Amino acid sequence: MTELALTGFLGLSAALVGIGIFGILTRRNFILLLISVEIAMNAAILNFVYFAAFPSGTHGLSGQAITVVLIGFAATEVAVGLAIVLALNRLKGTINVARATELKL
Amino acid sequence: MTFSSFAAPFAPEIVLLAGTLLIFALDVLKVRRIEITGGIAVAATLAGIALVVADLGFAPLAFLATIPAAQIDALPAAGAAPLYAVTSLGLVFQAIFLLAAFFVALGSTSRPSDERGASIFFGLLLLATLGMLLVAIASDLIFLLLAIEVTSIASYLMVAYTRTDARGVEAAMKFFIIGALSTVLSFFGASLLFGAYGTTNLYLIRAAGTAVGYPTLVLLGYGFLFAGLAFKVTLVPFHAWAVDVYDGAPHDVSAFLAGGTKKMGIFAFFLVFLGPVLAVDAVGQSGYGLFGGSLALGPSFQLALGVIAVLTMSVGNALALLQKEMKRMLAYSSISQAGYMMIGITIGSAPALGGATLQVLAHALMKTGAFLVVSAVAALGVGPLIEDYRGLGTRRPLLGAAFALMLLSLAGVPLTIGFVSKFVLFSAAVRAQGWFLWLAVAGLLNSAISVFYYARVLKAMYFDPSPVPDPALAGAVVGGAGPPALPVGGLGYGRAAAIALIAGLIVLFGIDPQLVLGPIQAAAYHFVAAGA
Repeated sequence: MTELALTGFLGLSAALVGIGIFGILTRRNFILLLISVEIAMNAAILNFVYFAAFPSGTHGLSGQAITVVLIGFAATEVAVGLAIVLALNRLKGTINVARATELKL
Repeated sequence: MTFSSFAAPFAPEIVLLAGTLLIFALDVLKVRRIEITGGIAVAATLAGIALVVADLGFAPLAFLATIPAAQIDALPAAGAAPLYAVTSLGLVFQAIFLLAAFFVALGSTSRPSDERGASIFFGLLLLATLGMLLVAIASDLIFLLLAIEVTSIASYLMVAYTRTDARGVEAAMKFFIIGALSTVLSFFGASLLFGAYGTTNLYLIRAAGTAVGYPTLVLLGYGFLFAGLAFKVTLVPFHAWAVDVYDGAPHDVSAFLAGGTKKMGIFAFFLVFLGPVLAVDAVGQSGYGLFGGSLALGPSFQLALGVIAVLTMSVGNALALLQKEMKRMLAYSSISQAGYMMIGITIGSAPALGGATLQVLAHALMKTGAFLVVSAVAALGVGPLIEDYRGLGTRRPLLGAAFALMLLSLAGVPLTIGFVSKFVLFSAAVRAQGWFLWLAVAGLLNSAISVFYYARVLKAMYFDPSPVPDPALAGAVVGGAGPPALPVGGLGYGRAAAIALIAGLIVLFGIDPQLVLGPIQAAAYHFVAAGA
């Protein structure tokens, strides 16, 4: 892979992580918030894939292995998030983050 | 390598995992009484403490040691990239984590014995502690971050374990959002470091120092990792969530979050940032356009970490002064204490890391104890505000004395462990010379400020008149239909024992600090020597 190609790929993951973090900070709907988390997480996962394919280092296969582990981990995290949002919905009848305001900020 | 020699270093983790699975299996079989599930949690953490202390070389328990002494602090073979490595500083941290978990489990056994979700709480407590133990032996960035996530995911659920308490579920939601953000930042940083170094092994990263061709990637990677970990340790400006979460979580869970899981982040900082802090300078090779160039990492990292440390202790203290609620005040004081701990990694010398570790031990005892007292006082029917504690010291002399002792220790009064840890830490900063002296000055000024808000609680407890009617005297027997009063003046055996043990340890280590200081300093010396 050439230097130019790597720069392009890193630009893609930088954009993804930016979109994801922006979403986490601005979305008020919990489901959209979870999707933003996934987008940002995929940026990190993509980075591991590029660097594993990048020829000049000693990166080897560990990048691919980490990718598989991280995909599994991301699914776990979303499952826990959904469990919390279910409890929230049952108690308050909303999944809007901004309406859960019992604790003052 | 046989299976037993592979599994031996993991003996405490295996005990905790067995405890978790046992509790969840009993939950499925509808055996949910708190005496049983809590007993398993207490036994598992106690066994874990015994195993870890034996591995640290505590002679009376030597027969329990599972790790050969030669394996502890051993450097990996050249070129090897182990996922985990047992260091003596890691074992010290494991002991601290297990101690905090033990006290929380012991204190929680005094909750109503048919409480809904109690078995989930104890199971998750052991699972979260398991993750913390793995953090303490990590020597690979991805292993470290995944171990942190084991703890984080368990602790999001712990905050919401009642499922019926709207405040708890709301706190869990906030905790989850911030936790997810911090996770994403950490993993993104780790992926950039992987790109720059070609490995995620912390030993290899430290050995490579900053002699890589991509200083921009290194800088960005460490920057993202710093932000991600700073959320876990509640450093300013990544601290705002902690107050809401500690406030909204059930009291015993707050005790575990403040006394236990936060310390895991401190050790993660030690593991990840010792390398860059000790690296004096870096010259990147050009040839990769955007990612070439040169960069002097060590001093800039120290400056950045130092500024954050001073900011954290000052902002935490200033906001603690303004709080009216006990738990929010303790949460802000917890933030400022994290600032003191950061002094250790900013300097990166063995005495400084030792001082920070002692501070971690002190804070684990004091803060777990303080939140357990809040939990006990709430069970007596006293309100959440500081002014609700009026007259507590005279009406409940023993409980009041224990709480006063913890607050005095947090303020750093002599003859308590809080004084010893601050003394060791600040004197390490003075000895490090240069601008590190100002870290000691900032720490001392902040300690002086913190006395104000601890003294405010003491004044309320001892010098203000009690409210009438006095809920603290009524105990748990409010009305005829309520649950029967617990033994030990409404506290229950577990909670009373946990509070008394913590108060005893605070004084014991305060009077004879050599009990812990010697092993901690030796462990910190080995840790820094391996990192350089």
